[in-house]
Amino acid sequence: MVTKNYPDPKLNEKLRDRYYRRDQSNPEFTKETEKLAGSMAHMCYQCGTCTGGCPSAPRSTYRIREFMRRGVLGLEEEALTDPDLWLCTTCYSCTDRCPRDLAPTDVIMAMRNLAFRRDIIPVNFLKTVTAIYASGHGVPNNDVNRAAREKLGLTRDPPTTHMYPEYIKGIRKILDHYNLKENADRIIKEREG
Amino acid sequence: MTAEHKYAFYLGCIAPNRYPGSEAASIRTSKKLGIDLVPLEGASCCPAPGAFGSIDLNVWYAMAARNIVLAEQKGLDIALICNGCYKSIYEVNHKLKHNKELREGVNEVLKEIDMEFKGTIDVWHLGELLYDPEIVGVEKIRESIKVPLKGVKIAVHYGCHLLKPKKERHLGSTENPMWVEELVEALGAETVQYRNKMQCCGAGGGVRGYDLTHALDITNEKLTNMVEAGADAVVDLCPFCQLQFDRGQIEIEEKFGIKYDMPVFHYAELLGLAQGMNPSELALDLHAINTEPFLKKVL
Amino acid sequence: MAEAVSPTTSEKPKAPRIGVFVCHCGTNIAGSIDIDAVKEYVKTLPNVEHVNDYKYQCSMPGQSNIQEAIREKDLTGVVVAACSPRLHEPTFRAATKDGGLNPFRFEMANIREQNSWVHMHDPAGATEKAKDAIRIAVAKASLLEDLYPKSVPVEHAAMVVGAGVAGMQAALDLANSGIKTYLIEKAPSIGGRMSQLDKTFPTLDCSQCILTPKMVDVGRAENIVLMVNSEVEEVEGYIGNFDVTIRRKATGVLSPAEAEAKGIVGGGCTGCGDCDPICPVTKPNEFEMGMAPRKAIYIYHPQVVPLLYTIDWDSCVKCGLCVEACGDKKAIDLEMQDELVKVKVGTVILATGFEVFPIETKEEWGYKRYDNVITSLEFERLICASGPTGGHLVRPSDGETPMRVAFVLCAGSRDSTGVGKPYCSRFCCMYSLKHAHQIIEKIPGVMPYIFYMDIRSFGKAYEEFYYRIQDEGAKFIRGRVSNIQEDPVTKNLRVYAEDTLLGRPMELEVDMVVLAAAVQPTELTNKTRKLFGVSCSTDGWLLEAHPKLNPCGTTTAGVFVAGACQSPKDIPDSVASAEGAASAASIPIHRGEVELEPYYAMCVEEKCAGCGLCVNLCPYSALALIEKDGKTVMQVTEAKCKGCGTCGGFCPGGAIWMNHFATPQIVAQIDAFLLGGEQ
Repeated sequence: MVTKNYPDPKLNEKLRDRYYRRDQSNPEFTKETEKLAGSMAHMCYQCGTCTGGCPSAPRSTYRIREFMRRGVLGLEEEALTDPDLWLCTTCYSCTDRCPRDLAPTDVIMAMRNLAFRRDIIPVNFLKTVTAIYASGHGVPNNDVNRAAREKLGLTRDPPTTHMYPEYIKGIRKILDHYNLKENADRIIKEREG
Repeated sequence: MTAEHKYAFYLGCIAPNRYPGSEAASIRTSKKLGIDLVPLEGASCCPAPGAFGSIDLNVWYAMAARNIVLAEQKGLDIALICNGCYKSIYEVNHKLKHNKELREGVNEVLKEIDMEFKGTIDVWHLGELLYDPEIVGVEKIRESIKVPLKGVKIAVHYGCHLLKPKKERHLGSTENPMWVEELVEALGAETVQYRNKMQCCGAGGGVRGYDLTHALDITNEKLTNMVEAGADAVVDLCPFCQLQFDRGQIEIEEKFGIKYDMPVFHYAELLGLAQGMNPSELALDLHAINTEPFLKKVL
Repeated sequence: MAEAVSPTTSEKPKAPRIGVFVCHCGTNIAGSIDIDAVKEYVKTLPNVEHVNDYKYQCSMPGQSNIQEAIREKDLTGVVVAACSPRLHEPTFRAATKDGGLNPFRFEMANIREQNSWVHMHDPAGATEKAKDAIRIAVAKASLLEDLYPKSVPVEHAAMVVGAGVAGMQAALDLANSGIKTYLIEKAPSIGGRMSQLDKTFPTLDCSQCILTPKMVDVGRAENIVLMVNSEVEEVEGYIGNFDVTIRRKATGVLSPAEAEAKGIVGGGCTGCGDCDPICPVTKPNEFEMGMAPRKAIYIYHPQVVPLLYTIDWDSCVKCGLCVEACGDKKAIDLEMQDELVKVKVGTVILATGFEVFPIETKEEWGYKRYDNVITSLEFERLICASGPTGGHLVRPSDGETPMRVAFVLCAGSRDSTGVGKPYCSRFCCMYSLKHAHQIIEKIPGVMPYIFYMDIRSFGKAYEEFYYRIQDEGAKFIRGRVSNIQEDPVTKNLRVYAEDTLLGRPMELEVDMVVLAAAVQPTELTNKTRKLFGVSCSTDGWLLEAHPKLNPCGTTTAGVFVAGACQSPKDIPDSVASAEGAASAASIPIHRGEVELEPYYAMCVEEKCAGCGLCVNLCPYSALALIEKDGKTVMQVTEAKCKGCGTCGGFCPGGAIWMNHFATPQIVAQIDAFLLGGEQ
């Protein structure tokens, strides 16, 4: 990238070099994405079938076709730092209809995994992790619900980790194996203090 | 009637902890149809495929595998009532069965908690078991009905992860399926076809948590289409979709100033009503949207 | 195993003296194989008298090297280590012959396709593999014998299967060159797909107007025996002498000639149509893509050739009203039976065409679910003046004229999902441009939207046609259609796609959608090709002998392909390939005889026990038991034998000698490989 050292920083931004150059491409990013996604993402021919049926596209700047293109070209920085990466609802319509038999949804998931490795992740995703670490449930029970369950003739707590908390130990071991709780706590603290 | 088909009932999070009526209804209605749903002790969140799949697929595989192994230890297939759970439990089970490398990786981790994924069971959505004539079938459901839900029009929301991606599922058409309509019509209700029926509810992939208005805008589009087609209620097979449509209406009113009052049911709840369960036995009062006007129409 | 002795030689063979010629093929071979090392190694092999290398062995100097060495070194066999024998075996055989040896004393070692090209990253391994290949070839060359090809006469007649534009053209060319040609068509009329089209791109001339003269020519041609409602049932024989059994389906209607043969003077079907209005059964007309009715006794359209009515037995109730209406012409026979006709031909051209892939299996576009989603072939009939609507394009839902029409290109083509077709169907871009032009011309104010991925306008004057249609106002949207939804009330269609050039998703409401559906070989193609022993690609298209250098031939000698049964082809390409196939198919007929490779099996009579086990094994019915000198022995019909070796491998007494692939030759090759050259 050509850096312009004009005295006015606003001008530097306005006139920023917009050439796509090969040095922006990281072939490893393409390979990593494909490995995680289990899909030959480099075979995308940019027909737009994915975006055409995407529920998120008509209400945002999210274009799954562009993420596929970034995958093809290895544009790691551009893909992982784009906040639109998190607007896929994983409805899999694109995967069902892709004429090249690719799985754009899984490509997005792979890119999200790669983003997380760089601590790029919306906090709400991490809160699900901490909730599960605490109780085994992403959406835990509460007192109103307990009362309602009782009226229905169900156990106050469902026969899950809620009723058998001894199972939580195993869940924590799995999450700790991947240092997920530790990382989640660290990132949440960095963001929210 | 004695139960011929026994399954480990995997509950997930939202059904038992927010809509316990679906849990109760699933157990009771199934029993009448020859399906015995037994508790799967110690199960956890599936875990949420949007959140966990986005963070680290390997964690998702391992956590889902733990739930599957609980059922393997019981020697029972899993039945579940949530599309999100279906994605995690069904898909991970399928992947681990067919991908040796993945299975070995997961078993390395499970070894730490003295578990091993063996690949000995199958995973089913209760909806598909109800539709399958070998298990229950539409006819048998129709015969089990005491209170036909006459005079109401139902919009079916299939949800995404039950059917898609098509290649990794086995439930047929993802563009224009009609089998849940058949299940609903077996209860005596009418169904309506509405614009963009197969569109997502908007909640999945972590979007509900990441950008609520974005998710709600999708939900709002669906609700508009359902209203346009004259629907009196929404029925789905997924507590997460249910939450998005039900609680989502309160949020839509709050954020967009639009009010629908469209009741939202899990199919098990409707089946319970039709089989004669009392609304109080379904905890319909926990729904965000008042179900009374709908109940008055049918009961 | 009993030692096999060649029945062809009585005198003691000369000690073998083999010359080996290693080709560099520029750097194709020399780039990864160490030629010098190979040469040094070959010199150590038994029987090798001469070793030479050259940059291009196939060049004139390369061939001269071979000829000179044969003469100077008194060679008994030649080995060339070079490319695949598919390319240059004939070249080197000729060189061997010119050097004074029998051409079948030549053996080829493939060190390019099966070696240097695939092992370019492993030169050491490639060099070793080349040594193995040459050692094996030398072992065989040492045992090769003189062989003499036999000639068989060629029947002065040809057959063309399929009477679309390609089949018609091929039949006309053959007939015009003086060859009696049987033209077999499964439908009641010739004309094929082209007769269903309205106009043709890029010239915009009327398809029927340019096709019907050809149809009439075919109907009138003296040398053409036209058989419609007919299918190939059985094929026997080989180039020059194919015995083909044709099933002529009972049409229930006699032609004037057939009537006369039955003694009905002045009778037979004249195509008057008196039977048509009286027939009580109505069915959809397949020629009109089911959009117009026909009767159980019917013709497709007034220009059919031959102009004969046909009875659809699946719907006929045999009420006999048509027989009455036909009166004295006595053309209708409700008891008519299928007839099997046997003909002998020298060569055959397959021109079985294409059909539209079942596009409803791509559910996202709603074909058969939404009234106003139609295929391009249906569009052709609707826009055609002689079609069911008299050329008025109307919506099937309400008969209204559509004012906004979306054309969906690559509908099922370029599709790797396993539902659609992975290939480009090749003519959809161009006919969709033509469709846009046709509606602009016919419907004032109409707007065509063409959803495309790439516009492939590769032919003569095609790109100019694209320019013209864009100039006429068609809107091109670069995006593949994701899905289509029908408005249940208006039956309008909402087309969802991304305008990828704009980078925006789009929702476009239109009155009609035309799917440019992928094409596939016709249903009968697979059965027919099997009868003639022709291979097909994984997609079912018939396989040519060589995609570039022998595009009309097949791997079965004497059988050729023409038109769209080989791959999707537009009209100019179909006709061109038909003329090519006709020319190729006429050559053996005009020569009057063909040489057969002398690779046939031979019976070593003194060893033959006459058990006859081989007779039933032969896939080509080439073997029979005969009485000879008071003994039962097997006899080979050399012209029928393909040299496959099934009998030779099976014979319990070792009594079958496979020319050029004889047991001692093959054993020597295996030994040479396994023993690494040690004797």
